[in-house]
Amino acid sequence: MSTKPRRMFGNKETASCLQVMRVLQSYLDGHTDEVTARRVANHLEACRRCGMEASIYREMKAALARQAKPLDDESLVRLRQFSFSLTQRHDDDGGEPSADEAPPSA
Amino acid sequence: MEPAARSDSQGSDAAFARYVVPELEVLLRVARSLTGRSSDAEDLVQDTLLRAYNSIDRFDGRHPRAWLLTILRNTNINRNRRRRPVLLDDQDATLERLAATAGTMDGETPEGLIVGAEFDAVISDALNSLPERYRQVVTLVDVEGLSYAEAADALAVPIGTVMSRLHRARSRMRQRLAAAGLVSRRKL
Repeated sequence: MSTKPRRMFGNKETASCLQVMRVLQSYLDGHTDEVTARRVANHLEACRRCGMEASIYREMKAALARQAKPLDDESLVRLRQFSFSLTQRHDDDGGEPSADEAPPSA
Repeated sequence: MEPAARSDSQGSDAAFARYVVPELEVLLRVARSLTGRSSDAEDLVQDTLLRAYNSIDRFDGRHPRAWLLTILRNTNINRNRRRRPVLLDDQDATLERLAATAGTMDGETPEGLIVGAEFDAVISDALNSLPERYRQVVTLVDVEGLSYAEAADALAVPIGTVMSRLHRARSRMRQRLAAAGLVSRRKL
């Protein structure tokens, strides 16, 4: 599945407030095409109200990114070991592993 | 094992090492988002690895992450059919996150720290208050950093649905920030 970048209507170098609000989320996520991104950026520099709105959503995204918890290293080690054990089973018994044969996770 | 069969299994093992093992971290992050619990996430990824291994011969090598996320999602659906509902994150976890965040803000003023911590607290509460379909997409895209397409694969929804849910979820969270007096009310 691929993501098609969003493209705004019109050929002006600067988008309108309404156009910017329609694509602001995609723009902040990096999912707009280059032309649209440039038009939005131009508008955000010139329009204080839209610029503030974009800043709020950027702060929200930053706060959400800070919510990410580090992965449990021990889980990763166990999963790597499990992956390795899957590829070793052919050598041991010549058959494909089944759910019943899977070692339990800690 | 016969030589031909051994050769096939070696090919499968190589494909598994090439396409699956590098995605372990992403799988664990997405599993954590879908299950809400680290222990469940590990079990889910383990089941996913097993299914991926058993079907690696039928995988064409294109878009391994999308393929694995589809397996993960289907595995999770099957597991949920025979298991209890997900428990919600507890309040202590929010406080721990805030404490950890405050500890990384060296160089800021005390007022800035308080406002930053309050901002994060409101965002955390707003995220946990969202309906599950909105919370999942925000967690996958904004917290775990998946692309729209990857989130769509993990949730079995079109990309347009990911975008619309994100837009609505963020609007709701923005309203919570405005209600808390941390940002201006939207005037557009």
